[in-house]
Amino acid sequence: MVIVEPVCQRGRDPVVSRPAYLTLGEQFTAALSALLGWGPVRAAQSRLKEWGLTGRVAVTAVPYLWLLVFFLAPFLIVLKISFSSVEIAMPPFAPLVQWASDKVMLVRLNLGNFMFLWEDSLYLSALLNSLKMAAVSTMLALLIGYPMAYGIARSERHWRNILLMLVMLPFWTSFLLRVYAWIGLLGRNSPVNQLLVWLGLIDEPGSLLQTDWAVYIGIVYSYLPFMVLPLYTAIEKLDMTLLEAASDLGCRPTRAFLSITLPLTREGIVAGCMLVFIPATGEFVIPSLLGGPDSLMIGRVLWEEFFNNRDWPVASAVAIVLLLLLVGPIMLFQRAQQAAGGVHR
Amino acid sequence: MNQRRSFFVLTAMAFGFAFLYIPILSMVVYSFNYSKLVTVWDTANSPTLKWYTALLADEQVLNAAKLSLRIAAINATGAVILGTLAGLALARFGRFKGRTLLTGLTTAPMVMPEVITGLAMLLLFVAMQTLVGWPAGRGVTTITIAHITFSMAYVTVVIQSRLLTLDESLEEAAMDLGARPAKVFFVITLPIIFPAILSGWLLAFTLSWDDLVITSFVSGPGSTTLPQLIFSKVRLGVNPSINALATVMVAVVASLVVVAGVWMQRQERRRQRDVQMALATNQGGA
Amino acid sequence: MSALRPQEKLKPWTDPAAVPYVRIERVTKRFGDFVAVNQVSLDIYKGEAFCLLGPSGCGKTTLLRMLAGFEQPTEGRLFIDGQDMTAIPPYERPVNMMFQSYALFPHMTVVENVGFGLRQDGIPKAEREARVAEILQLVRLTGFDQRKPHQLSGGQRQRVALARSLVKRPKLLLLDEPLGALDKKLREHTQFELINIQETLGVTFVIVTHDQEEAMTLASRIGVMNQGEILQTGTPTDIYEYPTSKYVADFIGSVNMFEGRLVEDEPAHVRIESAELGGTVYVDHGVSSAPDATVWVAVRPEKVRIDRERPDQLDNVFAGTVKEIAYLGDVSRYLVALDSGKLVRVTQPNTDRRDDRVTWEERVWLSWSPSANVVVTQ
Repeated sequence: MVIVEPVCQRGRDPVVSRPAYLTLGEQFTAALSALLGWGPVRAAQSRLKEWGLTGRVAVTAVPYLWLLVFFLAPFLIVLKISFSSVEIAMPPFAPLVQWASDKVMLVRLNLGNFMFLWEDSLYLSALLNSLKMAAVSTMLALLIGYPMAYGIARSERHWRNILLMLVMLPFWTSFLLRVYAWIGLLGRNSPVNQLLVWLGLIDEPGSLLQTDWAVYIGIVYSYLPFMVLPLYTAIEKLDMTLLEAASDLGCRPTRAFLSITLPLTREGIVAGCMLVFIPATGEFVIPSLLGGPDSLMIGRVLWEEFFNNRDWPVASAVAIVLLLLLVGPIMLFQRAQQAAGGVHR
Repeated sequence: MNQRRSFFVLTAMAFGFAFLYIPILSMVVYSFNYSKLVTVWDTANSPTLKWYTALLADEQVLNAAKLSLRIAAINATGAVILGTLAGLALARFGRFKGRTLLTGLTTAPMVMPEVITGLAMLLLFVAMQTLVGWPAGRGVTTITIAHITFSMAYVTVVIQSRLLTLDESLEEAAMDLGARPAKVFFVITLPIIFPAILSGWLLAFTLSWDDLVITSFVSGPGSTTLPQLIFSKVRLGVNPSINALATVMVAVVASLVVVAGVWMQRQERRRQRDVQMALATNQGGA
Repeated sequence: MSALRPQEKLKPWTDPAAVPYVRIERVTKRFGDFVAVNQVSLDIYKGEAFCLLGPSGCGKTTLLRMLAGFEQPTEGRLFIDGQDMTAIPPYERPVNMMFQSYALFPHMTVVENVGFGLRQDGIPKAEREARVAEILQLVRLTGFDQRKPHQLSGGQRQRVALARSLVKRPKLLLLDEPLGALDKKLREHTQFELINIQETLGVTFVIVTHDQEEAMTLASRIGVMNQGEILQTGTPTDIYEYPTSKYVADFIGSVNMFEGRLVEDEPAHVRIESAELGGTVYVDHGVSSAPDATVWVAVRPEKVRIDRERPDQLDNVFAGTVKEIAYLGDVSRYLVALDSGKLVRVTQPNTDRRDDRVTWEERVWLSWSPSANVVVTQ
């Protein structure tokens, strides 16, 4: 069998320059594989395997333990402290479990904190107000974010990456400073104010600062990238021929959008909304910098209970109540995340 | 492929991007303003660099920035290690016992309101101190642990989704050729997912560098990070040297992004050329 | 085409004393409730090119992956060269695999890819380089040493993958759809190349494919799989000419199937009455079936003759009307309706360049020889 091999020797054979990190990585790997092959290491490995500690178990166990200790356990402690009462001490709360004598264990569950939250209208209205503010901001972010994500997903490939980068870029710069920027923009005689006066929307230049609107703007502004990205992923995945098929079958663009694009990008909408709604409900920085005394939000209340009043038990109770309210949305987010994350074997 | 984008969509995009960038641009512009008032542009003396000189002379800011950088770097490294392990477990180990809980634990920190996470972590550290005597007091250590915990969640998601798109037969091929699982990870998986690991590291770095709320809960008296310092200054009102600081940060990030973008584009072009050449070789025979 | 294979002259599977090289013993694999492979037993001999053929999802890839060690059998055992391999991890098996996607390491050059396996075995550098150069020459890839996978064409990638899996001189080479990613022209060419290499090196191949032409060309023997079971094992000729079930007859090539009933059951011949045919079929060999049981007669379209006049033949002659004609150049295909309404497929080679072929709605006679019949009972 004779086969003519066309050899491409016009010019140089493309010699690939190897990135430095690869060479470094190879040296590391060589050392590592020498270590892995070393007798005592092998022996130790098989000994560990006998105890059921395989590499696989170790890989899973390390991050698992970290999260159990530093993320799950803290919530149990918050729960515990929300049932204790305040004391002037360090830490400033009474222990839940006391030994009355050698044998008798006293568990003092103090429901007072929760009763207090219920009775003082400040907390309830702060909670409701937070939910309202977060919901309104989420809707606004969706209204701005969806067309943006749609426009980006339908741009030419080259532009798409640049536009996405532009959406991400603010995220990489300081959140705090970006919120701060609005103080200047929204204050009395500020450009935004003058624009609104010129448009005839308001009569005289007042300050938008310290109003609910300032908080809405701040939240939408800060969380917009979190809304756009999941929406973009969902819209980008959408098969364009579906829309072509719909229009071929006599469906008008608006109708096609409502009956095809919108339902098929639902996971993205849910994920985006939850990524805005959940953190916005507990937001502290934005209301405390842009909001006024009226725009009470629960995150700020918690902060003040903790830092100003040093009432740790009440702060914990606030955290528990807020967490209970957010369990539903968090579950919703995780489900959307899993649906978008593809098949898990 | 140029899809039809309606006038509405284009307007919305323009508005959206203007919304995202006007505040940042305004900070940049006013950082060169002579007047201390943000709303008044002092035409006579602007532009000026006086706020930048003031910034450079501010020991407090510089120290806080150094501390923040240090915490962010340690945090990013720790978060990348833990996040990669978790991502590997979630993407590669099938349905193991406790997988659902691990998924929950790695996605919850991303959406959890920061005041709750911050409070919870502080209470944990206080409890640990009374129970086991570690960590003694609060400071850099507690801040770092807290940051690792919430930023590793983001890294996990990045790594997991990268691994899900990575052809698993690459790893199987290496194993088939005689490499043990640990070696397969270091020789095959790690180099291929390196870009994802790098972006995970940068993400974790930024999250830590930026964090105010959780840090405020778990920090101690001697440890003031940059966001804490900025917050205390900003609370007192507009301060032009903060504008200067913001401009510096924006400049650093923007130039990094531009460099990365150009580098990626060049890489992509070289790749395209290689592929074309391979196709040319293919013409006329097997 | 398979007649080209010299080793087909020696047929170890016909020799009762021959020791199988690969032995699959009642292997079952379940994924949850789904049974991917069900009680499969199979012997493969040294030097064979054994092809697992079946539709997607039939369990052929799972069986291959169990041989490689990527999946553990739920039940049963696997032996390679007399050694129990059931619990041996993939990195300790004397088996290599060529992946459907090729799975070339994108960050390594051709030489690094091919040398990867030798490196894992700690082969010294000089020997490694020599063996890599040798195998690259065999697959005709000399001069591409420093290229990376994305700098290669599809055919070149395929050969790198082949070289990489051969360089360790495995006892068994597993090929998962080895030609699936190539375009048609390249595929035909590569088939022969693959046979050549296999014969040069004498490596035992196990090939998974869903393409019957590929299986017929490459295989010394074929195992037809469906729903996790091996339905029939045999040489390409056996499988095509003597299918043992309706499924195999239908899966390989195209076939006419007539339902009927045994009316005359002799050791040397049988007669089957079929309502679909409107008569009886004479079969020149005995059939093992219960009397009065339903059987099926399978006749390949190319074995059916089509004539205007009634041929001079007593049995297996039936009248019908031409319904469809497809002229394909080398052959023409006809769809002829019998009087019962049953449609019969007929393929005739266009040996002459003539114009007076049978045409639509013409009355014709179909006939075939008694040896063309294959009787299956399931």
